[in-house]
Amino acid sequence: MKQYFKKITALLLCTTTLGFSAMASSHREAPLISNDPLADNTDLYAFKSPTDAEKIILIANYIPFEHPAGGPNWYTFGENIRYEIHIDNNTSTSGDDIIYRFTFTNTNEDGTTFFNIRLGKQNVKTTYTCERSVNGGTSFTAIVTNGVVPPNNIGPRSIESGVGLGATDYNSLMTAAIATSTTGEKVFCGPIDDPFFVDLGGAFDAGGFRTAGARDGVAKFNCHTIAIEVPVATLQKTGKTVAQAANILDGEYVIGVYANASRPAITTLSAAGDKPATSGAWAQVSRLGMPLTNEAVIAIGDKDKWNSVAPSADGQFVPYFKNPELALYMDDSQFGGAVPGLAKLRIQKASLGAFDFRNGKPGLFPLKGNPALDGTALSEANFGSILLPDNQSPRAVDILPAFYTGVPNLRPYQLATGKPTGNPLAAGKPFINNFLPTLGDYLRLNMAVPATPRNSADFSPLGIVQAAVLGLTDARYTTSGTALQFIPNMDGFPNGRRLEDDVTTIELQAVGGVVLAAIGLWYDDYVLGGSPVTPQLLNTITFKEGVGKNDTTFKPAFPFVQTPWRGYTGAGYTGPKSNTFNLGVGATPIALTAFPSPFKASTTFHYKLTTDASNVKIDITDAIGRKIATIDEGSKSKGDYYVQFTKANLAAGAYYAKMYADGLKSSTVGIIKIN
Amino acid sequence: MFNIVKSRFTEKKSINKTKQWMLTLCLATASLVSSASSHREAPLISNDPLCDNTDLYAFRSPDDPNTVTIIANYIPFESPEGGPNYYTFGSNIRYEIHIKNKTSTTTDDITYRFTFSQINEDASTFFNIRLAKQNIKTTYICEKSVNGGAFTTVVTNGVVPPANIGPRSIESTPVGLNTTYGALMTNAITTATGGEKVFCGPVDDPFFVDLAGAFDLGAFRPEGNTTNATKDGLSRFNCHSIALKIPINLLQKDGKTAAQAANILDGDFVIGVWASASRQQIKTLGANGSVSYSGAWTQVSRLGMPLTNEAIIPVGMKDKWNATTPANDLQFAKYFTNPELALYMDDTQFGGAVPALNALRIQNHSLGAYDFRNGKAGLYSLKGSGAVKGTALDEAAFGGVLLPDAKSPRAVDILPIFYTGVPNLAPYQLATGKTGGPLSAGKPFINNFLPTLGDMLRLNMAVPPTPRNDAKFSSLGIVNAAVLGLTDAAYNTNTSIQFIPNMDGFPNGRRLEDDVTTIELQAVGGVALAAIGLWYDDYKLDGSSPVTTNLVNVLSFSAGPTKNDTTFKTAFPYVQTPWRGYDYTQKARF
Repeated sequence: MKQYFKKITALLLCTTTLGFSAMASSHREAPLISNDPLADNTDLYAFKSPTDAEKIILIANYIPFEHPAGGPNWYTFGENIRYEIHIDNNTSTSGDDIIYRFTFTNTNEDGTTFFNIRLGKQNVKTTYTCERSVNGGTSFTAIVTNGVVPPNNIGPRSIESGVGLGATDYNSLMTAAIATSTTGEKVFCGPIDDPFFVDLGGAFDAGGFRTAGARDGVAKFNCHTIAIEVPVATLQKTGKTVAQAANILDGEYVIGVYANASRPAITTLSAAGDKPATSGAWAQVSRLGMPLTNEAVIAIGDKDKWNSVAPSADGQFVPYFKNPELALYMDDSQFGGAVPGLAKLRIQKASLGAFDFRNGKPGLFPLKGNPALDGTALSEANFGSILLPDNQSPRAVDILPAFYTGVPNLRPYQLATGKPTGNPLAAGKPFINNFLPTLGDYLRLNMAVPATPRNSADFSPLGIVQAAVLGLTDARYTTSGTALQFIPNMDGFPNGRRLEDDVTTIELQAVGGVVLAAIGLWYDDYVLGGSPVTPQLLNTITFKEGVGKNDTTFKPAFPFVQTPWRGYTGAGYTGPKSNTFNLGVGATPIALTAFPSPFKASTTFHYKLTTDASNVKIDITDAIGRKIATIDEGSKSKGDYYVQFTKANLAAGAYYAKMYADGLKSSTVGIIKIN
Repeated sequence: MFNIVKSRFTEKKSINKTKQWMLTLCLATASLVSSASSHREAPLISNDPLCDNTDLYAFRSPDDPNTVTIIANYIPFESPEGGPNYYTFGSNIRYEIHIKNKTSTTTDDITYRFTFSQINEDASTFFNIRLAKQNIKTTYICEKSVNGGAFTTVVTNGVVPPANIGPRSIESTPVGLNTTYGALMTNAITTATGGEKVFCGPVDDPFFVDLAGAFDLGAFRPEGNTTNATKDGLSRFNCHSIALKIPINLLQKDGKTAAQAANILDGDFVIGVWASASRQQIKTLGANGSVSYSGAWTQVSRLGMPLTNEAIIPVGMKDKWNATTPANDLQFAKYFTNPELALYMDDTQFGGAVPALNALRIQNHSLGAYDFRNGKAGLYSLKGSGAVKGTALDEAAFGGVLLPDAKSPRAVDILPIFYTGVPNLAPYQLATGKTGGPLSAGKPFINNFLPTLGDMLRLNMAVPPTPRNDAKFSSLGIVNAAVLGLTDAAYNTNTSIQFIPNMDGFPNGRRLEDDVTTIELQAVGGVALAAIGLWYDDYKLDGSSPVTTNLVNVLSFSAGPTKNDTTFKTAFPYVQTPWRGYDYTQKARF
């Protein structure tokens, strides 16, 4: 068996980590929220900081498809919206244990221009307050006040130049916007490159996934992020540090995270175009825990409802996880034949010759109550009622817990490594423990698991799937049998979610039964006693949704998300110079105008002296330069003067007037005489 | 070309000089240098994309000249692959097109109102289209009111085509709809009970503009410049169109057809058009993700002239502008009499800080006398004088509006273009044939005068359409008609009314092709003043050519891309098929 695992390892190292094919995590995922971009929660990440083992990074993104050049009113966080990140760390308490709430305010520094930034002034300038509750939302304390949201990355004239903000560069604005809260968290709120990647065009054309020609539908778009770096001890339910963890899968270190956006229930538009008035109770309009739940698991008829409820009310959506729609497209007795893009994924219908996990089939239900389940998570004494509810809910055993409870480090949820042939229920190699059985959609992270260095050769966007592959096939991890050890990417999705994780591929593989296979419920083409690395398993783990990685890099330090795409890049164009007529205002301290012109009988010169002068006169000449009159004003102190000009028998035509004062002269003023 | 011109300022000129000027102008108009028309143009509406009215067009139909086509676009920046919930028209929104055809009333003479509704044919999937079933399938009714009367339904069960998702969703069977997108679009064209053709659906956004350049403090990148290639910020985005092709006799105030017009500038054929979106005042979020609406209908977006709320109204007033009807636009007049954009074309203001607009320098000394820079007197010195007698500037005519005070220089050109239309009266005639200076009678080139004193897109329906394949067809609209009328021997020998190509272009209505960003920047730069004989500062009063460096610079200026990123259809609805999400050809947008 080992030699087959070597084969699979080699294959994986060559293919899985190279080019991959993609679904937006939660961009425009439900009818109502798709029309309220400011409140549209697009992605949620929670991961162990790669730079500090005692820190967790929480990132909630909002506002999909921001065009980097989308002016003159670029997107920013909305007022009258509560943006929140909720953390549950304890199943014995009801509700959220920690809530971070962000509220934003927009002001215009110069309401007289249509530009967003001009002459050091910024319009729709956004600031925020961050409040924190540690008592389930009963009370909140402000931990960041006057937080600054950087402006949009419009271009060099707006950001760096003197006619704009005169900043050193955009990154200096971003760095300066990182705040430290009164309770020790680092906080950043602002526009960034949208870190998600997905072949939207393929995925939503009725599952037209493609390996060739896949394109990242969120490439070169920005979004707005709320990023927090939190000490593990702040999040752990009894205030422990990572150093105090019993082991790297210590169950006391699991947190469940979700983000949301709420608006007051009643919005009243102003007939005068003033800001709308809001009133009433706060109503949640968007939420996000696990990626793609509301995008590709919940059906359209329930999407708006899903966005409006808290995870505590998620019991009603359980049917979508026990028999997920996506599974229909990986099942030849359903629509499998109609979705060639998913041809590599075929759900086990006779795993170990017995178990059928296709929608509506019994799955592991035939084992229910069997003494063989004793001591496993599937026993009635443990979680059998949830995991094996009936004989028509096959995915209650894998998809449901991945989304609703997290996966415990209990039999059968351990790798097949170390398990006797054909017995998935036996003890195997631990690879995940993010079990927090709140029965709701959360992104669950075991904070005790170390971070995989981003520059490690083992780092993979396939997260736990890759950890499973290594744990099954790599001698560094197989030789120690069932011993608990760190396997690279155990800190990856669905144990939390890193920015790099290809969650679309992982979730499609999971619906395709890869987790079942990892714990020994091999694919149909496995022959008892033969290699489990069958063509079908290879098909599944080499399946890629399309894009595989973000369209730019990530930062090596907080907030890790990347600088937003700049709207304008490159050199500035300079137009051809036009002639201007003796403008010189400021250069010459004297100025002359005439009114009216054209004139019939007389016109009045108005002149201004910004300095005292002793020899003030106005010469009037005709079109060919002959002097026809001089008005001598003598000595004048600085000020405004008016002098009427009349000349009998002056022929109709154009004339020019110029004023002299000591060594100074004004610009030439044309006057027109008509009859 | 100016051999007919006997202006006291331009008396001496030779045939040779004339030829030189023509050549210069021809070169100038060959290469040209743009802002989004009304995409995300105000703070509030930028967060309500379904209601965001992005563009409005009104033009004589090129293939059916007895009709006028009006197109109102909504929903900016629709990513063609923006699923799983692609944009479509919103329910609980009133999308309206308003038409004025007379000044004897202040309210709409004709109103078309569109209301949309959505259904899910298969709510058990997360896909938009699956197994021939479509979710968020949109239908509409169109109602019409004439002379403020009750609304009557003229289209029932109108069909909005689905988003152009890709071949599996649209063409394939049994997975998709088993059709072609072209067929879906064609089948969605319907005929109203009054004879209007109607189409509502997703289209390629026909607008084009270098958003990145324009809004980085005016860093415009002219098309063809070698420093930094211009980018169409709207390329490869879709929007949603409401398109109407309406027989002219239904729009003309007395029911006349175009054939009954006295001449091609017959003032009785001017219409003013604006579009809007309104929501009910109160939105209430209910349990389980439900939403309800109640209260009075409140206008949240509107659009008449392109770029008004984008680049003329300052940010502090933009939301208010969207909530106001044109009948109450006088409060915004100051932004037209002294437009902000003019500050960037004036070296005593911020001209030096916006090098991309160097080519545009407003006359501060036209004819040695007239200063049109913000805050200056413009033509005010002529107010009440004999010189303006019999012209539009006469107190007996419109002097009160056009020459309000000594600090509103652009009340004479920018304000009427946006608020009243331009009459076929001196001085608003081309310098061609002006024997007595700019205030005398010249060659007619526009008459879209409908003095309602509000922002509307005004079209004289008597002006024939320029064939789109005509060698003289130009995206510069009236600016190009003016150039031809001043320089082309076919048009510059007399002052009689004559069709000059592109007289049917912006700002006389607006064609899909018209480069309104460039035209408006040129206009703020004083090009309309120059066209009527108020030449640029470098014009020499000795009678030499008015085709000076400055005029050539202005006419050579372009604001960015000068045409859309795809073609237009040759027949109604003229706007192009929306980009297909699965495999549209990609192009940089910034």
